[in-house]
Amino acid sequence: MAVLASSRAWKRPLRRSAFGVLVTGIAVWSLFPFAWQLITSFEPDRDLARFTPTWLPVPGTLQHYRNVFVAKDFAPYIANSLIVDVSATAVALVFAALAAYSIARLPLPGKGAVLGLVLAVSMFPQISIVTPLYEVMIRLHLIDTYAGLSGVYIGLALPLMVYILWGHFRTIPRELDEAARIDGAGPLVALWKVVIPVALPGVVPAALLGFIASWNELLLALSLMTSPPRQTIPVGIANFTGLYSIPWGDIAAASVVVTVPLVVLVLIFQKRIVEGVTAGAVKG
Amino acid sequence: MSVPPRRDGSPLSRRSFVKGLGAVVAAGAAAPAIAACGSSSGAVTSGGKTTITFASAKFFAQKTIGQIVEEYNNAQKLVNVQFQQLPTPSQSTEVHQQLVQALSERNGSIDVFTGDIIWISEFAAAGWSAPLDSYFGPSVKAQYFPGVIDACTYNGAMHALPWYLDAGMLYYRKDLLDAAGLTVPTSWSELVTGAQKLMAAGKVTDGFNWQAKQAEVLVCDLVEFIGSNGGSILAPDGKTVTIAEPNAVAAVQFMADTFGQAKVTPKAVLSWDEVPSELPFTGGKAGFLRNWSFVWTDAQNTSSSSVAGKVGVTSLPAFPGGKNAACLGGYQFGMNASSTKKSAAIDFLTWMSSPATQLKWATELGLAPSRPSVYTQPELAQVNPFMVKLQDIFTGGTPRPKTPKYSQISLAIQAGVSAALTTGNVESNLKSTKSQIEQIIG
Amino acid sequence: MVTRTAVPSSGPPAGHEPAPRRARYRRQGRPGGKPRSFGPILLVLPMLASLLAVSLYPVLRTIWTAFRNTSLEAQSDSFTGLANLRHLEQDALFWKAWRQTLEFTAVTTLAETLLGLVIALALGQAFRGRGLVRAAVLVPWAIPTVVTARMFSWLFDQGGLVNYLLVRTHLVGQPVNFLGSTTLALPTLMAADIWKTTPFMALLLLAGLQVIPTSLAEAARIDGASAWKYFWRVRLPLLMPTLLVAALLRALDAFRVFDLPYVVTGGGPASSTQTMSTYAYNVLFSGLEIGYGSAIATAMFITEVLIAGAFGVFIVRRIRQED
Repeated sequence: MAVLASSRAWKRPLRRSAFGVLVTGIAVWSLFPFAWQLITSFEPDRDLARFTPTWLPVPGTLQHYRNVFVAKDFAPYIANSLIVDVSATAVALVFAALAAYSIARLPLPGKGAVLGLVLAVSMFPQISIVTPLYEVMIRLHLIDTYAGLSGVYIGLALPLMVYILWGHFRTIPRELDEAARIDGAGPLVALWKVVIPVALPGVVPAALLGFIASWNELLLALSLMTSPPRQTIPVGIANFTGLYSIPWGDIAAASVVVTVPLVVLVLIFQKRIVEGVTAGAVKG
Repeated sequence: MSVPPRRDGSPLSRRSFVKGLGAVVAAGAAAPAIAACGSSSGAVTSGGKTTITFASAKFFAQKTIGQIVEEYNNAQKLVNVQFQQLPTPSQSTEVHQQLVQALSERNGSIDVFTGDIIWISEFAAAGWSAPLDSYFGPSVKAQYFPGVIDACTYNGAMHALPWYLDAGMLYYRKDLLDAAGLTVPTSWSELVTGAQKLMAAGKVTDGFNWQAKQAEVLVCDLVEFIGSNGGSILAPDGKTVTIAEPNAVAAVQFMADTFGQAKVTPKAVLSWDEVPSELPFTGGKAGFLRNWSFVWTDAQNTSSSSVAGKVGVTSLPAFPGGKNAACLGGYQFGMNASSTKKSAAIDFLTWMSSPATQLKWATELGLAPSRPSVYTQPELAQVNPFMVKLQDIFTGGTPRPKTPKYSQISLAIQAGVSAALTTGNVESNLKSTKSQIEQIIG
Repeated sequence: MVTRTAVPSSGPPAGHEPAPRRARYRRQGRPGGKPRSFGPILLVLPMLASLLAVSLYPVLRTIWTAFRNTSLEAQSDSFTGLANLRHLEQDALFWKAWRQTLEFTAVTTLAETLLGLVIALALGQAFRGRGLVRAAVLVPWAIPTVVTARMFSWLFDQGGLVNYLLVRTHLVGQPVNFLGSTTLALPTLMAADIWKTTPFMALLLLAGLQVIPTSLAEAARIDGASAWKYFWRVRLPLLMPTLLVAALLRALDAFRVFDLPYVVTGGGPASSTQTMSTYAYNVLFSGLEIGYGSAIATAMFITEVLIAGAFGVFIVRRIRQED
């Protein structure tokens, strides 16, 4: 989407530089604390205790990364988080897409009630559902299992995903699936082949936000995964702090390690979104 | 590490006694006449080890609890301890919650656990922790600091076995005091004067740092200030609320004055707990600091502290006519009242709390012993000379209010005292805190 | 809920006039002709089943417990009717937390929506390095909340970076007491939340902007409309449903804020940053009063229903307007 040209030519360079400032501001705002974490992760403990911030860690140290992976053995936490969160997001995405399509497009009886129920259930404070959930999981022998925590995360991600996808399916022109239907495809094929590719701008944020939410979830992970070999990243990071010590350097290193894959994911998928949209525009 | 050699008159000989009797039982001899075991049965299975579960918050230093537990497992053939790790003590609410969840099921899923000193009354009143008097008599109790035995006792029965201790203490900049010709303060007013002098001379930006964040640590500081003025929060009967008495009000007024009229404390103290309040001190910017024992190690760490070698530590000051009060903290051992393997559990507990093991806790995990006798061990002085000084501080230790509803009362105190400090209306806020506590106690 | 497509469609085929298209929908009724009533229900079933399994039982149980005096501490568990409700009414701390949470919700949702919109508009333009900036924008959201909370408690501490900069640039004479002040603590938490969550809004709004067809931009340009007018008259109205839904989701989430106040200030000083969630957490997990804690959670739920209702009115009105 190109910037609309104003009729006054002299405004253009001004607008462009103002825009540049804005974009730079956004980038700095977003990246600054992370950059700070990055710097902290390379600073030796001695410098971290000083008050005047050092802007460049010279000389740097890899000690914190070594602490994280060797001393604190962080890799299993990462693996656990990946297993639980990827599976939960994938399954939730499928369920949510099917449901959202049905609500947005098909003659589903009681659509309003369904949407209302989805919203209502998501409005309950998580802290109060921890204890009953724990009781249920204990009885089902799902405490401390991947399936258990993953299942819970599916349930928690669904409302957000359903709403995002519903909103997007509603904006897809009906001719698309009608055209596919005329060609003889059933509603599911229409969904898969035609609607989803165009709805990608909605599917990607839904998946990303759902994934990140479970990636960072602490309270339920703490209550439902009780043994260290199965625990997820947020629990691992929370356990870094001893009774009265906050190892800033190690925490920074862990959070860098944990954030970078997410950023990479976003980079990859952002390109997909851009492609999808420009392809559509070109055809028109 | 092998089992340390026996010493005379110590619980080790009692332990050997229990072990010996256990061996006799295992051999199929007559039922043990161990009065200690009380009503529990099935203690030792013949031909194999009894497995008990030990749940503890995660502590670590050079060694971990798990490693120490393994030493016990390898040192004897009767009991096998399975160690279950709970979250770190910095997440004490989660530790508390997981313990309560396990204990309230009353199915003996854990046999032995460690809990914060402030949960003892709660667990005792709920019937979750077993009374230990029949296993550890008065002669054993006399081997610990009286303050910690007091804290472990509820309604006349001892429901916890002491593990390690910590208490609030006063850190000061030896070098600055010497240079200014000041003596180490023994009264609060002396401390304020000294702090003001140091600040006026430009040597420090913060005169006296402590903790006033609306969190448990505020109650700890409160106990010390009020206690050193001869007051208390709750009377020993557990029902009379004394937080609005004149000596308590005066103490809290002093707390507010430190950043009010005396200006020796930065207002940021209202958001500080242990670590943020430590940083200015180890960074060389503060003259006095009230904090737990961990600050010493951090202060001497040359790679992160600017004050290594310049720090002194002593008991906290008192108000005129009062005695210094150090708030006791630390985790203690408890036994599940529903445990089906009590004698094995007791054997394990006895070892964990023995002088030899307490020396291990001190030298390998940095946890200060709850037995005065350990402080005179030469090995302790070698490895951690600072800890030897703690003996005096712990002797004057005071527990926080002992009541089953401590958690709720603590929240009320935190909110009320924080309001008193921020608004400056000490008396009215303490009065409303008093009525809230009375409501909770019922 | 209205299920008609509210957006004038175009997309791959050449743009048609909006009105006839909508009329066509209304006349059509059920597409496909054959009544396939089970298909749609089947598609919704997996989602409903998961949701009910994970959320409905705990929710119902919480509401049920709200009418009891269940307490692990006192080991009681009997029906007490409205006793918890009466206690709530008189609980000054509860209402304080309620007010503060509403304040927090209103300010952060508004700020995040506005800022998110600005960022989404900026990122919607084509410029070099856009992909990188988009990835950058998501970074705050990706950092674990525990880490963010600690970062902010250090940042705004007396000896932290913000005070360092303020003093160095002579904007203030002495370090400002952000987190220990009853007036500044909550706004500081709001700032932390805004920093962390604006990317969430930006992403949702960006996705919403991207489905607005470019043909409209062309048409507006031909008509000589300025960029501002194009935004105000065309893009914003089209974006409204998405914006309102996103704002609603964000508001509901903000109302439940827990990690930030819990880690950074513990609810203080003087309970000035106590939110409904931290209060409920204290009652449930420290006080072990499950009954009263459930009553607080139910009160939270009711408030959220009201908030959702308020939003819902706007959303429905918006959708009706587009007819």
